[in-house]
Amino acid sequence: MRLAGKRALVTGGRQGIGRGIVEAFRREGATVTTCGRGARPDGLADDIIWYPLDVTDTDAVEALAEAAGGIDILVNNAGVQVEKTVPDSSDADWEAVIGTNCKGVFNMCRAYIPRMDEGAAIINIGSISGNTADPSMALYNASKAFVHGLTRSIAVDHGPKIRCNAICPGWIETGMLDAAFELANDPDAAHKDAIARHAAGRFGKPEDIASMAVWLASDEASFATGQLFTLDGGMTAASPLNPGLF
Amino acid sequence: MMLDGKTALVTGGRGGIGRAIVARFLREGALVYAADLTPEGSLSAHDDDGSIFVKLDVTQEADAIAAMEQVGAEAGQLDILVNAAGIEIEKTIEQTTLEEWNQSFAVNVNGTFLTSKHALPLLRKGATSGTSASIINFGSYDGFIADPGLAAYCATKGAVHALTRAMACDHGPEGIRVNAICPGYVDTPMLQSFFTGDGSGGGGKTIDQLQQAVRDVHPMRTYGTPDDIANLVNWLASDEARYASGQLWVLDGGLSAQVQQMKL
Repeated sequence: MRLAGKRALVTGGRQGIGRGIVEAFRREGATVTTCGRGARPDGLADDIIWYPLDVTDTDAVEALAEAAGGIDILVNNAGVQVEKTVPDSSDADWEAVIGTNCKGVFNMCRAYIPRMDEGAAIINIGSISGNTADPSMALYNASKAFVHGLTRSIAVDHGPKIRCNAICPGWIETGMLDAAFELANDPDAAHKDAIARHAAGRFGKPEDIASMAVWLASDEASFATGQLFTLDGGMTAASPLNPGLF
Repeated sequence: MMLDGKTALVTGGRGGIGRAIVARFLREGALVYAADLTPEGSLSAHDDDGSIFVKLDVTQEADAIAAMEQVGAEAGQLDILVNAAGIEIEKTIEQTTLEEWNQSFAVNVNGTFLTSKHALPLLRKGATSGTSASIINFGSYDGFIADPGLAAYCATKGAVHALTRAMACDHGPEGIRVNAICPGYVDTPMLQSFFTGDGSGGGGKTIDQLQQAVRDVHPMRTYGTPDDIANLVNWLASDEARYASGQLWVLDGGLSAQVQQMKL
C-alpha cells in the first residue's frame, strides 16, 4: 500500500474524479477526508471522513483546518464549469467559477500549507483547457490556467518541504461529459467523433486520474514538483484538425 | 521600407511560402537572393521579380558554401537568412522508408543546419554593420501537436524548434537573432498536395468540401496565405524585432489555441 500512514484531504469528493481519488487513496492505505457542499454522499465507505464545506468560504476553510489538524496530502479537486463566452458571462458566473476554481484552491492552500509537514504533497486538478481553449468556456479555461500558475508558485515557494503538481485531465467519463453529449444534435455521431480524436480510443475514467494522483501523492514521486501532468488519452497531442474525421 | 539596405537569402525561395517572402522583402527594399533547386521551385511559372536566383540544394554542403561565396562576393554581408526550404512525407513511421526519413531530415533539418552554418560568417558582418542580423527558421505547429500520417515531418519540425533555441543561445552574443515561424495550414502547393494526395480520409468529399471543413475548424474560419507568413517574417527580419530571439512564433489562425473541436 503506497499511501499507508498518510493523511489525505480531497475536496469535491462527492462524485466524478474526486470520488475516484478518494477511493483510490483509501485502497492505498491513506486516512482519507473529503468534503463538499451538502450532506455526506451515499455509498461513501464508513472510514472516510466527510465534512460539509464550501471551499469559497474562507472562514469555513480556516475553521476546518484548525479543527481537523495537519495532513500529508491535499487534493484540490472541487471545481465548477459554466459554458459561456465572455460577454455572456454574468457576475454570478464569475463568482461561481472563479470563486470555486481559483479562490477555493487558494483558500485551501493558504489554510493547509502552514499545517503540512516535510514531504507533504499538494495535487491540484488543472485541465487541458488551461493550456488550450475549449469553446464557450471562457471563465473555466482561465480559471484552470490560474490553477496551473498557482501550482508552479507553490512548488517554487514551498519546496523542498512541500511538493505541488497539477493533473490536467482531458475528457473524463463523468456526469459533466454525459450532459454535453445529451445536448448534441446527433449524440451517437458526436460520441463517435469525439472517441476518434483520442489515440487511446476511449475517454478517461475517474480511476485514470486517481492512479496518477496516487503516484504523485506517494514517495515514488519525491522528485516531481511544479509540473502539469496531462492525462487525456493522447487527445491534445493531435492537431484539432484531423483530416480523417471530415 | 523596413528592410532598406539589408541583404537577405531565402531558401526554398521559389516555393509557396518562400516566394511570398522574397516578394515582400523586395518591396521592403532588401537585396534578395532566392535560393532553390530550380528557378521555378514548386510553382510552374517563374516571374522575374527582381530577386537574384541562386541554385541551392540545401542538403548539399558544397551548394551552401558556393551560395554564400556568391553572396559574399556580390553583397559583402548577409543581414537576413530565411530557411524556408522544406518537404513533407505523408506517412506513418511504419509506411516511411529509411530513405524517406533521411530525406525529410536532410532537407528540413540538415538544410537549416548547413545553410545557417555557412551563412554565419556573412551574418556576423551584417550584425556588426549597425543592427542585428536575423535568422528565421521554419518550424511548424506540427512540431507541437501532430497531424496524422506525417510522422517524419512532425519529427523534423520538432528538431528545428530545438535547433532554433540552440542557435539563438550560441549566436545571440554575436548579434545574430534566431527565431522560428511555426505555420499552421497555409495555402501552398504543399497543402494542396496534402489534400489531394491519398485523400487523407476524405470520406467521399470533394476537395472543395474538404477545404471548407478544414477552414471551419479554425477560429479564424480560414487557413493562412503565404502573405500572412511573409508579414511576420518581415517583422522578424526587421530592426523592429531587435529584441526578439530564441522564440517559436505560431501563426495558425488560432488552430492550436483550441482543444479538439468536438462536433457537438
